[in-house]
Amino acid sequence: MSAAGAAPTPPPAHALLAGGPGLRRRKLVNRTMESTATLAALIAVAVLAIVIVSVLIKGVSAINLDFFIKSPAPIGQSGGGIANSIVGTALLVALASALAVPVGILVGIHTSEFARPSVASSIRFALDILNGVPTIVTGIFVFGLLVVGHVQSGYAGAFALAIIMLPIVARSAHEVLSLVPASLREGSLALGVRRWRTVLRIVVPTAASGMVTGALLAVARVAGETAPLLFTSSIASNLVSTDPSQAFASIPVSIFTLSEEASPAAHAQAWAAALLLIFLVVLLNIVARSVFGRSQARIRRTR
Amino acid sequence: MIKNKTAALAGCAALAFGLAACGSSSSSPSTGSLDTLVGAGSTLVAPLVSEWQPEYDKKTKVAVTYGAIGSGGGIAQITARTVDFGASDAPLSEDQFKEAKGVVQIPWALAATVIAYHLEGAPNQLKLTGPVLVEIYKGKITTWNAPQIAALNPGVTLPATKITPIHRSDGSGDTFAFTNYLSHISPEWSSQIGHATEVNFPVGIGAKGNSGVGGAISSTNGAIGYIAIAYVLQNKFDYALIKNAAGNYPVPGIPSISAAAKTLTSVPANNEVSIVDPPASAPQAYPISTFTYALVPEKAPKASTLKPFLKWAIHEGQTFGPKLDFAPLPEQVVKADEATIEKIGS
Amino acid sequence: MKRSAASGAVLGRGPSPRRALPPRGEAGVADRLGDPGLRLLALLASVASMVLIAALVYKVFDQAGESISHFGLGFVTANVWNPVTRSFGAASFIYGTAVSSLIALLIAGPMSIAIALFLTELAPVRVRRPVATLVELLAAIPSVVLGLWGIIVMAPFLNNTLEPALRSILGWIPLFAGSASPFGLLPAILILTIMTVPIVAAVTREVFQTVPTELKESALALGSTRWEMVRMVILPYAKSGIVGASILGLGRALGEAIAVTQVIGDETGIHVSLFAPADTLASRVASTYQGATSTLEISSLAYLAAILLVFALIANAIARLIVRRSTLRMRAAGPRPGLAVTVAEAQV
Repeated sequence: MSAAGAAPTPPPAHALLAGGPGLRRRKLVNRTMESTATLAALIAVAVLAIVIVSVLIKGVSAINLDFFIKSPAPIGQSGGGIANSIVGTALLVALASALAVPVGILVGIHTSEFARPSVASSIRFALDILNGVPTIVTGIFVFGLLVVGHVQSGYAGAFALAIIMLPIVARSAHEVLSLVPASLREGSLALGVRRWRTVLRIVVPTAASGMVTGALLAVARVAGETAPLLFTSSIASNLVSTDPSQAFASIPVSIFTLSEEASPAAHAQAWAAALLLIFLVVLLNIVARSVFGRSQARIRRTR
Repeated sequence: MIKNKTAALAGCAALAFGLAACGSSSSSPSTGSLDTLVGAGSTLVAPLVSEWQPEYDKKTKVAVTYGAIGSGGGIAQITARTVDFGASDAPLSEDQFKEAKGVVQIPWALAATVIAYHLEGAPNQLKLTGPVLVEIYKGKITTWNAPQIAALNPGVTLPATKITPIHRSDGSGDTFAFTNYLSHISPEWSSQIGHATEVNFPVGIGAKGNSGVGGAISSTNGAIGYIAIAYVLQNKFDYALIKNAAGNYPVPGIPSISAAAKTLTSVPANNEVSIVDPPASAPQAYPISTFTYALVPEKAPKASTLKPFLKWAIHEGQTFGPKLDFAPLPEQVVKADEATIEKIGS
Repeated sequence: MKRSAASGAVLGRGPSPRRALPPRGEAGVADRLGDPGLRLLALLASVASMVLIAALVYKVFDQAGESISHFGLGFVTANVWNPVTRSFGAASFIYGTAVSSLIALLIAGPMSIAIALFLTELAPVRVRRPVATLVELLAAIPSVVLGLWGIIVMAPFLNNTLEPALRSILGWIPLFAGSASPFGLLPAILILTIMTVPIVAAVTREVFQTVPTELKESALALGSTRWEMVRMVILPYAKSGIVGASILGLGRALGEAIAVTQVIGDETGIHVSLFAPADTLASRVASTYQGATSTLEISSLAYLAAILLVFALIANAIARLIVRRSTLRMRAAGPRPGLAVTVAEAQV
């Protein structure tokens, strides 16, 4: 038995096997604990349901065509939409991915294909550290780096999001690349294919679906992030903009601003934006998991 | 099949780059062009600015972007030059002028900070005084039916609800105006807490922005808070009548704000105009009226876009004020502003 | 290829090496440069990442420089935040961060263990996947949406119903004394709990799934009830994994700024009552950084961010070390790809 720590002494064997006087009490304790565990799971699901249903009920009433294509109305007036935020989030996430996904995959390639194991584990540890940086601190970092002395910009916001995405992409890339069987690599090298072609044309495509999963999960994560954008891309135009040298409005920051207002119209828009954001994030998660899940199913079938 | 997925991903990334590199849009030209102005700051003036934005865009094709992050934010961002103009209800202090390195303040709107409350079972326009407000915000008066409040409102049955004082958690010009008023009428407040865009309130709940204060007030029975007048109007909050130096309880609005502004004798060189707690010679003046300033660098790279905007704001822009309870700027302030705007160069 | 069907099936059979061969006659400069080229590119990416992390830590401490030299380490214990007198201190925010995160963990920990047990032992097999997915979806809800729900739905409920009830039942405990308030430590704790549970539950579940079946079955065969089997076999075996998962959740709770700042009331000062408004390190930075008008205040806020960074990094590093040890044991236990843990950890 592996060293799992000293287990408490079990009841003597005859008591376990023969039933005995304590059996009813033990069964009661067992039933209680089982119910508690089930209750806990139900509470978790219930809380999720409460939140999602709140968002659904309150958000659906404010969703109309205007919501998607119009810009925000002047303060205090009703109507208008969050078109600028929708486009802004899409562009911020696209820019962040364009930055983080290639770099993350390259880091994954480095740690799984080229680096010595000790170097690789230090790099991976450092990336784990980066993953643990609170997003508000990332925002302060990028603010000091890219905004002070210049202006808030889509580039700064995307850079902040990319910093958050990087460890997720790099780690999942490393995991999948390490899973590629050595025989694939060896076979290719034995046939005279150069190392770089082996990596790029054989190893990476084999691992591609896992990397797509990692990228999608990273996107789902940053699509809902507010803190890194607060100082880097929050003073944004009401009009739809595709110019990254100025700040982009974004759905999370809009929700944040609207949530603090008093008017029911603002709240309704906040709920609708929240509904949209949840829908997006859940969709991305489902797609990512189905990509991963399909491979899981294949394993189960081969067992 | 798998290759196509990677290719698709690469294609999306390329598309994103392409979109970004394009950098053009029907409504927001790229940076460096003179057709955008980015400003940030005061939430008090934000409703007026949001009226200005579409109008000015229609008139001159200049898109003004404004972030209502609070007056403290306006001062901080213009000091860091991350915006083209800042907006603050609080005038800059000596130190702030020094740190901002060459910024001028231009009073461009006139409004008031109102004491709003949410109290079920009580009527609108309860009477309060400055000293009572001091006690409330120091946590000494804790329920609405306290004798000090009841004494000011004879004939009104006040419920025993707990008072929750709301204050601003961000750097706020309304905090400045409110604490400035309290410091004027209470030496105790002045020495213990003082006045600034951000002070250490001993009790209460903090909320972000005038909207946040409004949100906190509307969702908490018994809440009282200081909030810009435009927000009281929009959300139809109950508001208190504050006793002024003459002993009257003027209703906060354009007449009482203008009365307070009339007590201004002259505009000093740095354009700091304070009309808080006007003297008794203005019997109908609202005691917590405040100007709000545009903060602009003296050497502004976008001077040629900025100057027409500021000029428009202090003239035509004022016509959008009355429906939000912004009073028109007094003549002498407009003259001083014009002189300051002329001095802005690039 | 068929030999490695198990792990190969995670990824697909892979393209034939022949596709990787350069067309005849092309094996020239490009081909020879490719190797060092790719190595260099990959190395650059790794170096850039390391530089990024170092730059981040450096820049935050650098921005805090003025405050650090002005206040020194006394900042950490000073319970004051007064921009008028220019005295700043982190104590009340450290208190708020510690109390909110630790109590959230206190609630989330046992609850996550219970959920993980439900999902691995108790639930009928067909129910497991859907419920597990639902719990993981809870982790995917953006914090700003939870904050919105907290402001509009939870805060009035706490102010009008829950807090008065707690005060009347448990008011003799100082934690539940004090007047009800819509914003304060309690809503922040509840929201942090909602955010922490899915993370801890997901990692705990993975750890539970590595417990060798023979151990579990032998306990059951000897006649122990299911709970006794859990208590004697699963929990001791998974102890370090549970601790690791909890600290992972703690790290996430420490750094949460947005949802907390929406419901915590933004007050300085240390109060015992959970109902009282308070503030945390992350939340104070989020609400005030953009509007601080003196350089001393700005750098004091950066000092708060630096303290937060240190806390979060320590918690995260400890958690990773513990979880990695469990993960290695997981890999040794069977052909279960580490991607499952990645999927769970990606939510952190």
